[in-house]
Amino acid sequence: MKKTKLTLTDILVTIVIAIGFSVIYKLWGPLYSSLSILGLHIDQLIYGMWFMAATVAFLIIRKPGVALLAELAAAQGEFLFGGHWGISLLLYGLVQGLGCELIFAIFRYKSSRIFVMCLAAVGATIGSLWLDLYYGYITELVWWNLTLLIVMRTVGAIIITGFFAFYLVKALEKTGVTNLVRPVNEKHYQALDEEIR
Amino acid sequence: MSWELSSKQTWLHHVNPSIKLILLVVVFVGLLLIDYIHFHLYFVIGLSFIYFFMTGYSYKWLLLFTLPFIVIFISSFTSMAFFGEGDKTLYQFGLFHITEESLYRGLHLGIRSIIFGLLGLIFALTTKPVSLFYSTMQQYKLKPKIAYSFMAAIRLLPMIAEEVNTLRQAMKVRGVTFSHTISGIYERIRYYAVPILAQSIRRAHRMSIAMEAKQFNGNRGRTYYYQIKYGREDLFFCILLICGITVCYYLQTNFSFLPVERVLH
Repeated sequence: MKKTKLTLTDILVTIVIAIGFSVIYKLWGPLYSSLSILGLHIDQLIYGMWFMAATVAFLIIRKPGVALLAELAAAQGEFLFGGHWGISLLLYGLVQGLGCELIFAIFRYKSSRIFVMCLAAVGATIGSLWLDLYYGYITELVWWNLTLLIVMRTVGAIIITGFFAFYLVKALEKTGVTNLVRPVNEKHYQALDEEIR
Repeated sequence: MSWELSSKQTWLHHVNPSIKLILLVVVFVGLLLIDYIHFHLYFVIGLSFIYFFMTGYSYKWLLLFTLPFIVIFISSFTSMAFFGEGDKTLYQFGLFHITEESLYRGLHLGIRSIIFGLLGLIFALTTKPVSLFYSTMQQYKLKPKIAYSFMAAIRLLPMIAEEVNTLRQAMKVRGVTFSHTISGIYERIRYYAVPILAQSIRRAHRMSIAMEAKQFNGNRGRTYYYQIKYGREDLFFCILLICGITVCYYLQTNFSFLPVERVLH
């Protein structure tokens, strides 16, 4: 049984979700930039929004590769709509997606607990911080400022990418649409058997 | 005075989209590893030249698109200049500590974010998404499954926009308000995201079934309506970038006017 291979439905659903997110990302840019003028890294609290496509898509489809594909597609979308970070978006999308994907892989794509989502948020944060070493020279900041940046970004990411995404998909499950795309599991087969009896 | 977004077709429109993307990504990674401030300064001048004279859009639009750059320049400049490490103090007030090193590093980062923004805009303004995906399928063997999903998803956007509008009006008519606490922000996201996501998933699911019903199997070895090939414009673009980089390198070594050369030590 090829349960883990991505079918056309999986890819199409992932990319439609991601392109939807890319519009949000595009609109998030001006908001983020206007907050960043306030200084003291207030803007970092909402940075986590840029990782959300990965966790939401994974929670909906729960297959390997979905998180990376979603994050890349969302970044590509934001880039094509002329997001003002331009070409850097593509690489950020890649490292953030890889950060999430790695965490899901460690749990063998089986766990969808809130704790794992928060870890994925941290994974994406680490990815983005790694690129910021080159892009923003963040190690050249004064130590307290750097610490503030890391703490703010991580906290924001955990709240948005971890908690918000988890409860959002929980709310989405009540509508029943997630059953269309999730792979069937043991529970479904058992339910089938019980009905026959 | 018309505000329609239209452009003349310039030679940049005819550069192979995937070549264009790859070259720009290479330039991006290269610039990340260079910390010579003058190089970036000359490079941004060269890029603005390409942006204003070779993309074929009217100047009012081009200027309008550059407005966000002011904000990102200021934000990346101030966050490094005010809080960066450095020894030669220029100004100190409370938490702010501007040093000569951090000032120039901030300037460097500000210029660099404009460069990346310009690179992105040059690409986005001269490339149709459809031809990018066709070209990546034909030249770089991207799976049609993924490429067609992208093209379909982009076509769905107007419907999503319409739904958002309907939702907003429906909430307005019912007098829905959100508080400004964290739970208020979550509520706002949920009220918009759940219906939009649910509809998008249903639509994508229906569409994939329709595609499979029409025997779209998403494998390689299919025929294409648009044939996208390499051309001499690709060579021009490559030469333009190489010449630009060489000129910037020459200017950087011979004409430096700022007291610092490199911003990292």
